[in-house]
Amino acid sequence: MENILYKFINITQTYPELARELTTVLRWIFVVLAAYILLVSIFSLLTTRCTPEIWGYFLVENGGNYPITHWENVIGRSRSSDINIPVRTISNNHAILNRQDEKKWIFKSLSENSTSVVNGYKLEPNKRYLINTGDEIVMGGVHCTVAPASVEESRNNEKMRRLDKTPVAPWKILLAITLFQLLTIVQLIIAKGENLTLSPVICILLLCAVMWTYVAFFKAMGSKGFEMEMIAFFMTTINFAVTASWNPGNNVKEFISAMLGLGLMIFMCLYMRDLDRTRRLKPLVIGLSVLILILNLLLGTIRYGAANWITIGSFSFQPSEIVKLAFILIGAGTLEELYQKNSTYMYAAFSFFCLACLAIMGDFGTALIFLTTYLVVSFLRSGDLSRMILAFVGAGLMGVMILRFKPYIASRFAVWGHVWDFADDQGYQQTRTMSFGAGGGMLGLGAGNGSLRHVGASSTDLVFGFVMEEWGFIIAVLLVLCVITLTIFAVMNIVAGRSTFYTICACGAATMFLLQTILNVFGAVDLFPLTGVTFPFVSTGGTSMLASWAMLSYFKAADMRQSASLAVRKEA
Amino acid sequence: MRKQERRAYICLLLALVLFTGVCVFGVRFVQHGGEWASFYGNTQIYTDGMINRGTVCDRYDEVLMECTRDGIIYNDEYDVRRATVHAVGDPAGNIASGAINVFKSQLIGYDLLNGTYDTSAEGKRIKLTIDARANVAAYNALGDRTGLVGVFNWKTGEVLCMVSTPTFDPAGRLPDTEDGGYYFNNFIDGAITPGSTFKLVTSAAVIDNLKNRDSFTFDCDGVNEYNGVDFTDIHAHGEVNFRSALAQSCNGAFGELTRDVGADVMQEYTEKAGLTEPVEMDGVKTATGSFSFPSGDNVKLSWAGIGQADDLVNPCAMLVYVGAIANEGEAIQPTMIKSATFLREITGGKSLGRYLEKGTALELRSMMKNNVIENYGEENFEGLDIYAKSGTAETGSYRPDAWFVGFTDDTDAPYAFVVWVKEGGYGSEVAAPIARSVIWALKEDRGQYESE
Repeated sequence: MENILYKFINITQTYPELARELTTVLRWIFVVLAAYILLVSIFSLLTTRCTPEIWGYFLVENGGNYPITHWENVIGRSRSSDINIPVRTISNNHAILNRQDEKKWIFKSLSENSTSVVNGYKLEPNKRYLINTGDEIVMGGVHCTVAPASVEESRNNEKMRRLDKTPVAPWKILLAITLFQLLTIVQLIIAKGENLTLSPVICILLLCAVMWTYVAFFKAMGSKGFEMEMIAFFMTTINFAVTASWNPGNNVKEFISAMLGLGLMIFMCLYMRDLDRTRRLKPLVIGLSVLILILNLLLGTIRYGAANWITIGSFSFQPSEIVKLAFILIGAGTLEELYQKNSTYMYAAFSFFCLACLAIMGDFGTALIFLTTYLVVSFLRSGDLSRMILAFVGAGLMGVMILRFKPYIASRFAVWGHVWDFADDQGYQQTRTMSFGAGGGMLGLGAGNGSLRHVGASSTDLVFGFVMEEWGFIIAVLLVLCVITLTIFAVMNIVAGRSTFYTICACGAATMFLLQTILNVFGAVDLFPLTGVTFPFVSTGGTSMLASWAMLSYFKAADMRQSASLAVRKEA
Repeated sequence: MRKQERRAYICLLLALVLFTGVCVFGVRFVQHGGEWASFYGNTQIYTDGMINRGTVCDRYDEVLMECTRDGIIYNDEYDVRRATVHAVGDPAGNIASGAINVFKSQLIGYDLLNGTYDTSAEGKRIKLTIDARANVAAYNALGDRTGLVGVFNWKTGEVLCMVSTPTFDPAGRLPDTEDGGYYFNNFIDGAITPGSTFKLVTSAAVIDNLKNRDSFTFDCDGVNEYNGVDFTDIHAHGEVNFRSALAQSCNGAFGELTRDVGADVMQEYTEKAGLTEPVEMDGVKTATGSFSFPSGDNVKLSWAGIGQADDLVNPCAMLVYVGAIANEGEAIQPTMIKSATFLREITGGKSLGRYLEKGTALELRSMMKNNVIENYGEENFEGLDIYAKSGTAETGSYRPDAWFVGFTDDTDAPYAFVVWVKEGGYGSEVAAPIARSVIWALKEDRGQYESE
């Protein structure tokens, strides 16, 4: 294989003019392919809305008949209740109704003042009771019952769902990505010449093979929606090209991390199919996270100003990236848990521990991401805006303290907004990012042709500029749009979500991705002080790559489109 | 679940932050991309701190400077290099208004679509509007005196000649930056006492404001004492009217005319002539002139009206004003970049607005013609339909500065010019021949180019 590669390199070096012309044309092709791949995927994600599944009916005397569209429902007088009974004697959030299986439901009265009576038996508040469909429930004097979805109705439902627009078929996109990957190899050969080693070429080819296998396998298993994976595979391809341009020796590491991440994603998707099983995992995840953060504090090595690395032999990783996954899982909760104070306190305590560890490590970029995720997830859980604002103000004060005691951080704030006046000291990285990035124009200079790679952290913190220079402004912005799309998708799918657990997971993951992208992009182009945070999938670094892929499972778990997601068990 | 649905909008808010930020950056990218790309830190286009691609040539395609990876290569001829260095720029970028600084993003071939990507990696060819040979003529005419020659086409705005001395050879050892005079472009950066050339502005004020100007007479005895101060002239002009006062450049007469017009009107007409604002030329702003017309001090006001006292004019602004007189009152913005299209030749250059009423401009033109006939001698400008005003500005030095401004009105040579020689002596004796030789050179080059 090495011989073949050198043969190609020889050809391009024999006809340099021709090779240059080829790059000129390739730049256009890359942009067109990328736009096709990403826009088709984005469009498919945002237009294939799903009809919510109906799990049963809640019948109220005197005519109310409410379809139950989630596994977890709040019954109450408040308008935002899932089952809204506008009767004075019923509390705002009166009770929770959770689906156990086709015939059994769990009923839990939340209100201390009003009463719930089932089949004549008075229920104690905050205790779970198993009820059957058809049981008589009396809440605040109102008679109700849970009715199963009739077989006929279920069928109708299925038909309705079949009428939903199906996700786009993956084959054309797969072909486009494959073409993109092959042409990337050609471009790297032209640009790098003898500096190109075999490993990036093989890694890109292997990624291509894995991509086809993944889609073919799960397609055969009946899965339909692959847009998110397509986006991830595409972003990973850009990552491999960036690595090849920056330091081809690292490609193998990136590849292995991506594969581990993909494996972890599949595992998490399958594991999360069972909600109870997933919830039981929480204590273990908390224990492991605390352990690895403590290990990090004890054994951490400093890189780029933050002691957030653990090195064992020649193997090093960033524990905080892994803890991100745990952080989301622990923040998530079923509707029932959201009404339990213990669960809320535990989450707050865990968050505080994580933030404290990150602060000690000096990794303030990641701390900011954790903090924001905590605030967003807390708001999703409680809906308490005032508490969120309070927490935010508190965090702001802490931030001011940090600035006082860490001159290194303060100096970054000092140049913020006018980096061009400090072009050769604190503004060095940002000015280079913008200068080389602008040099790339809309179409880029071609992979391997950039010069930003000679600047420190170019392939991680400044990767947005790296992509702008070599791939052009259009592709760089498309990558940002991908992250935005995942967020919109996560929010859109709550309508049909089965459990708050999944939707909080997806929104938490979306917040993490968004924050990472905001800090990475804004920091590199002086819209915000440079904090040294990675761009999901695109920044080089094994742990970041692995975490990005695994994080995707949270989005997959929220994907409620008809047999779209492997995180959702198919109905028999 | 419905509660979570609503609360989740907060995620969309974050997404909006990201989207807005990227949009803001996108706008900046479009606006400043060229600037960013040509930043000296961009090693794609800089080798050893010097720009490594792009060519600058004159209006007839004579190469003045070529930027390569092996350094900057200038024109072969010593005189051409010295005559054009202020237009082209020096390797260190010390001449702020040099093409190498001002047209950097064009030189590197930056455009929004391709960035600095270039198949040839040779950059772009920038065609300046100057005529290198005419610049050499101007440079030779100035000799080793400090001064400047600026010529532009008052219809299209193209600057044909821009020479500032002292000058230096950009291919040789660069002068010390402390010795700022070399890097100073008098035409753009200068603010100089205008002397009698300013009477063109005073005259415009008189034409518009003194109805009885045709009956104006002044008896010049050569000393012209006013309020105990002498407004001396070279010799006694005897009885002069308004026209002959300008032709003879009679200080006594113009002192009185200024007083008749008054301080406020003088201020207004100086502003209308564009002399108190910088001129913008391809994004470069010239120095700003400054004047003061005190209403309570008639002596000082008189001096100000004849271009002395605190009067300081930027030569480029003066050129634009003279061009406006030629162009029946409408001022045209000067430019150094040769337009690829012929459109400018037909439609004219970018208008800066009306500096003078048409009637005022026509009367001034006729008076400037009269200056040539009565004073400078038409025979001295053979083959040129020339209109002019000389100036001899007292700066307190041992010899006055010599000025000569004006324009020609040939269909193939609609040129306005400004010549200034520091401590040169009398304007009409010293500066006028320089203007003549430069315009001859311009006409000759044009004729040659057209016959080819």
